[in-house]
Amino acid sequence: MYGNENKTKAKPRLRRRLDSWASATLLGLGFLAVVLVTGFVHQRIPVAPESEQSGRLVPRPEVAQVLSLGFESVVSDYYWLKAVQIAGGARTPGPEQGDYLARLVDLVTYLNPHVGHAYRFAAVWLIQTEEEVREANRLLRRGIESQPEEWRNWFYLGFNHFYYLDETEEAARNLAVASELPGAPAYLSRLVVRLRAESGGLDVAQALLSEMVRDTQTEEALSGYLEALGEIEVERHARDLDSAREAFVETYGRDIESMDELAAFFDPILNRLPRAQPSRVGIELGGESNWVIDPESNQIVSDYYGRRYRVNFASDRAHRIEEWNRSAGTVSESSSEEGAS
Amino acid sequence: MKRGGQEGAMRELANERIKVEGLVKDFRPGLGLRSRRVLNEVSFSVREGEIYGFVGPNGAGKTTTLKILMGLIRPTAGQATILGHPVSESRFRQEVGFLPENPYFYSFLTAREILDFYARLSGISAADRKPKIAALLRDVGLEHAADARLKTFSKGMLQRVGIAQALIHDPSVVFLDEPMSGLDPIGRKEIRDIILKLRADGRTVFMNTHILTDVEMICDRVAIIVKGHIRYEGPIADLLRGDDMDSDVVLTRLPSDLGIRLQERYGSRVKGMGERIEVRVPDKDVNSLLTASLGAGAEVVSVTRNRHSLEHAFLSAVREGTASYPNEQKEMEKNP
Amino acid sequence: MIGSVLRIWPIATNTLREAIRNKLLYALLFFGVLVIGASVLIASLSYVEGERIIQDIGLAAMQLFSVGIAIFVGIGLIHGEVERRTVYTILSKSITRSEFLLGKYLGLLLTVWLQLVLMAVAFAGVSAAAGASLSVTHVVAVLGIAMELAVVVAVATLFSTFTTPMLAAFFALGVYCIGHLTRDLNALGGQADDPVVRGLAQGIYRVLPDLDSFNFSLYAVHGWALAPNDVLWPMLYAVGYVLALLFMATYIFRVRDLK
Repeated sequence: MYGNENKTKAKPRLRRRLDSWASATLLGLGFLAVVLVTGFVHQRIPVAPESEQSGRLVPRPEVAQVLSLGFESVVSDYYWLKAVQIAGGARTPGPEQGDYLARLVDLVTYLNPHVGHAYRFAAVWLIQTEEEVREANRLLRRGIESQPEEWRNWFYLGFNHFYYLDETEEAARNLAVASELPGAPAYLSRLVVRLRAESGGLDVAQALLSEMVRDTQTEEALSGYLEALGEIEVERHARDLDSAREAFVETYGRDIESMDELAAFFDPILNRLPRAQPSRVGIELGGESNWVIDPESNQIVSDYYGRRYRVNFASDRAHRIEEWNRSAGTVSESSSEEGAS
Repeated sequence: MKRGGQEGAMRELANERIKVEGLVKDFRPGLGLRSRRVLNEVSFSVREGEIYGFVGPNGAGKTTTLKILMGLIRPTAGQATILGHPVSESRFRQEVGFLPENPYFYSFLTAREILDFYARLSGISAADRKPKIAALLRDVGLEHAADARLKTFSKGMLQRVGIAQALIHDPSVVFLDEPMSGLDPIGRKEIRDIILKLRADGRTVFMNTHILTDVEMICDRVAIIVKGHIRYEGPIADLLRGDDMDSDVVLTRLPSDLGIRLQERYGSRVKGMGERIEVRVPDKDVNSLLTASLGAGAEVVSVTRNRHSLEHAFLSAVREGTASYPNEQKEMEKNP
Repeated sequence: MIGSVLRIWPIATNTLREAIRNKLLYALLFFGVLVIGASVLIASLSYVEGERIIQDIGLAAMQLFSVGIAIFVGIGLIHGEVERRTVYTILSKSITRSEFLLGKYLGLLLTVWLQLVLMAVAFAGVSAAAGASLSVTHVVAVLGIAMELAVVVAVATLFSTFTTPMLAAFFALGVYCIGHLTRDLNALGGQADDPVVRGLAQGIYRVLPDLDSFNFSLYAVHGWALAPNDVLWPMLYAVGYVLALLFMATYIFRVRDLK
């Protein structure tokens, strides 16, 4: 009654086996094709064009806190990684990235004020403009609020005030607090005394920068500080040359016409001229830098920097950063732009 | 291939609805554990229009065999075909109905909805579905509960839903896994009747069971499987044709002299006195006993084949080579 | 082919029906709509850009809760059928395992898409009430979520074919989280000095689903312009990725024993 017609539909075994092999091969090829095409398509999808630019969305700290549903520290860590990535990506963050960075660190420290390094991280990177430095100081104060016993936050705050903002009194006040906290180096209190007495100077700048070098982990920031220390070193030489020049004027009754006269063969004021570039920079193929008399300002300058050093250089900060970048690339090509003085 | 001649053999082959040859199945209980052989060279065949009982204690491999036939698991070795199609295919299943053991259905559906679902899976047109489902619900006695959610159904009702879904596409071969387990006597009787009706309709029925009385009552042929080995395959009549089979005869209004004669002859095998007497006699004595009793004016209440002797027959069929049999015997007795 | 569709469809609609009669779905949907509504309150905390915050939160809630539904309903999808043995009777009909799996996938996808539409309606209502702008880009953003859901449901389906719901949930959630981090991972890894790390990051980025490519909510909220290709490529990517996942899922499901 049932099923006899099915007999005819049943295929012979060999045919069946061939069929199953063929279909398995087809399926395998199909799978491969799908995977390949998908991979190709995936490559065509632009990786969020806005992510390379500024203006990447950083949620408002208040909103992010609500949305992180109790995982504030994890969300904070996530944005912290983003911040580190930005700073690590560019040798020095551009002006628009500074803003992004500031917002990231703001978010990170808002979600989790107990982070340690993020505050100083902001201080190291937010140095392009006065606004950035002020923002970094605001973040540092947030850090001080949550960790008042951490001397480094006070120290960075003092450094910013002294080095970038030329606010010596404020700097001395903050450094004084730092010097009394556990873990602070002993020389800090002496530094504060000198800072109050001299209102600045090469020694104070050098001491503070050296401390920054000790405390900084990122290579790019480190090279910045070393660069600044190199400038101070050259500036010391320049000041020695200034004295020698004065002695020359006293002895011969006229100014020098060229730098060689200071170390002339006969009756030299100096045995030889000091190096015109920081000692840590080796002699490049293009020859060593030279001391020159700047025709406009009539100052002795190193053609390595093209201008004289000032402790506070918030005014020509951008120019200086450009210099740092260039010197990190090609040292020989020294700038002929004139310094501000 | 031998094609010419052998007409009879071909006809015999064509008659085979289910054919299982040398089926082996190894299960690996877990990663790194040794695999266990649950089916060992199982072979049997089921002919058109018969009720075939696949019998064995729990854990013998009945359900595993059935799952292989249903394509749910793959055999480690061996062949199985239904209507000439390897069981790994799925198209021929239009001709096959399946009732799993303790069937589970989407409990969020009503009986009518679930049958409609299976009908659509089987490709039955919308116009045909409605009358078909109504007829099936009537056949399995679920008309009154057609629109109740399955989660409110009793076990027996679910079993009927299971049978209804197995029949929805009018299959020629029906597989039933423990169709009577867990049912009360009335439910079992009703399911039995349904199965007998399937055969009457010309369908082939393959039935897994460990309940021997069911086997005896409805099966045409059986295979007995113990620990993954087939111990017997053939007509149930052959299995029961032993000399040592007994039947229980219940009589009333037995004249007292006949009662005494029975007592003398069968001794302790006679139970009860006065109105109602039950006596266990060898099969060969049943006819003469009945003749004598009826002649003496007694009434026959019932004659049933003794369950223990039936089990005895099964046991002798499976005895060879199974040292741990007593456990399995208990298992069988636990599930009357 | 038509036969396949005829068999897949009842499975899909039945899966949808099962989900609709599932209380968990309503609970998640309820909370989703609740968060979308609550975005008004949260936004009122901010003195500026309240509309933006409403939409930020609304779109995030839609994504989060629909993914939640996708994963927690999806993980038990296949496993539940095998465990409850409902699959026995279904596969005894003339439906192949692949058809069954595809039906389950489609059914769940329909379910999560349906509740996404419901949440989108709530979102539009809240946005309109708060006076926030609504544009085609918002529709694209919802479409993006729909694409992401298609991938997440396929991931859940794949895991559901071979592991328990508990493990499947862990795996699927893991893939979801990593899927949203692969871009950052790739960018971070790209800066590593070690070529092995770089290659690893690149590999993860290519192999795991790049779920961020379906995120258009920033464009919607900020009103940024979208080119057709910005939507088309991710859409193709979603289709391809889903196909690949379903390929694997059907393969695994076809060869495994349904004990």
